[in-house]
Amino acid sequence: MQAIKVEDLSKSFRIRQKEKGMRGSIKAIFSPRTEEIKAVNGISFEVEEGEMLAFIGPNGAGKSTTIKMLTGILYPDGGKVEVLGLDPTKRRKQLAYQIGTVFGQKEQLWTHLTPYDNFRFFGAIYDVPDKETEERIGELGELFELSAFINTPVRNLSLGQRIRCEIAASLIHRPKVLFLDEPTIGLDPVVKETVRSLIRQMNRELHTTIFLTSHDVGDIEKLCKRVIIVNDGQIVLDDSMEHLKYGDMPLEDIIVEIYRSEGKVTLES
Amino acid sequence: MSTAVKNQLRVCLLSVKYNIMKEMVNKVTFLTNILFMMLNNAAFIIQWSILFSLREDIGGYSMREVMLLWGLTASSFGLSRILFARVFTLHELIVSGKLDAYLVQPKNVLLSVMTSVTVTSAIGDFLYGIVLLCVFSFSIGRLFLFLLFTVTGALIITAFGLLVGSMSFWFVRTEMFGVHMFNCMISFATYPDGIFRGKARFLLYYIIPVGMAVYHPVHIMAAFDIGAFLWVLGYTVCIWAVAVCVFYRGLKRYSSSNLMEARI
Repeated sequence: MQAIKVEDLSKSFRIRQKEKGMRGSIKAIFSPRTEEIKAVNGISFEVEEGEMLAFIGPNGAGKSTTIKMLTGILYPDGGKVEVLGLDPTKRRKQLAYQIGTVFGQKEQLWTHLTPYDNFRFFGAIYDVPDKETEERIGELGELFELSAFINTPVRNLSLGQRIRCEIAASLIHRPKVLFLDEPTIGLDPVVKETVRSLIRQMNRELHTTIFLTSHDVGDIEKLCKRVIIVNDGQIVLDDSMEHLKYGDMPLEDIIVEIYRSEGKVTLES
Repeated sequence: MSTAVKNQLRVCLLSVKYNIMKEMVNKVTFLTNILFMMLNNAAFIIQWSILFSLREDIGGYSMREVMLLWGLTASSFGLSRILFARVFTLHELIVSGKLDAYLVQPKNVLLSVMTSVTVTSAIGDFLYGIVLLCVFSFSIGRLFLFLLFTVTGALIITAFGLLVGSMSFWFVRTEMFGVHMFNCMISFATYPDGIFRGKARFLLYYIIPVGMAVYHPVHIMAAFDIGAFLWVLGYTVCIWAVAVCVFYRGLKRYSSSNLMEARI
């Protein structure tokens, strides 16, 4: 069964343009000029339940915008989205009970609270009964090895510890789909590997569907069996990781080549 | 009460509780913030005592009514900033894409956002209002009305803040406009409405809703009028309905952002 179904999805933003200098600033007051940027331009794909998908592309390709439309943060301009059979724009709250999100660049935890208090708060947000939340904190604490700092305010944690807590918090309600937007950004290689093995374990044991965006080739190579590459808001490649690897050429070089070609280079070519 | 409403209220109360807990980490700052806000407000009693020693009546108000006006203003603004302080910095959340964290939660976005910040000094404002009522014009009936109008006043002030803050969905850099409107409300709310005439009066009753938040309630507490009472309640419902509609309409235009930010 499909966990995510996207058809001809698009989203544009109107960006204000200004000519240089003070003269441009004055001119912009009286005759403001805007330009339409197509962040996502008619993409379609499907993700099976339990699949681990890498959704990658250069900066500004439309990855985060796509994730935000899949999670109900942004309204699409056109197309159709279904996550676990629900339309995120119409049934955002019902969907939120079944998905988890981790934005590596944005903190969702309350920094003045301890991870324990944060988990309790997240439990309340997802209507998890208190007893079940306690059990879940115990399980996640063990899985993510949080016991040493579970009662330390989040602001005093290292980046690696914080990311582990972010992922644990996003799992408190046992989501069926987990959206990870650059979860290993800024982490050292050891912590990166820990986070990856946790994601693998979650997928294996709980059959959680993983939708991952990352600029780290290691994340993509070690976690995902399928990869979608987007550029300029369009899908330029949708294939298995096995196909993407080509002889002795490092995966990073292949991906860079595809990014640079803006879709003109495909696996076939 | 349905389970969904109960759960929503539980999350809102937890949010306020955790915010206050955060402030209480530094005990001295927490207590001095409250105490000095009360002292700061109390300084104006001297100013009004001097004015009333020169004239018996200012804009149709006696000293007792001015204190009632000050008390209700302080308590309403205080309650609004204890429970819903985030509304007054909503522009910041919209412009920097910080609404994302609330949009991925299975709860009402607006309520979660509004209750996510508490201003400690506002506890001082809230308590100061009640102290003024007790000192200058206490009666059981008036206390009941005072508490009720504190709630309607806080709701009207919050709804107005929400309307102004939601403008950021359409226009950039509206924060100064918001600050001016908020200061405008506080300034006008501490003077008797009798001194305002014509356009100024129209502005205070229909554009900046000080009239409905404090002036009308003070008149009702001085001499109860069922018509005016229902008018205040009706206005509270209407301004909320409009503010909520504007917020959700604007939310459809929300464009998020990829700024690297922490939720503090």
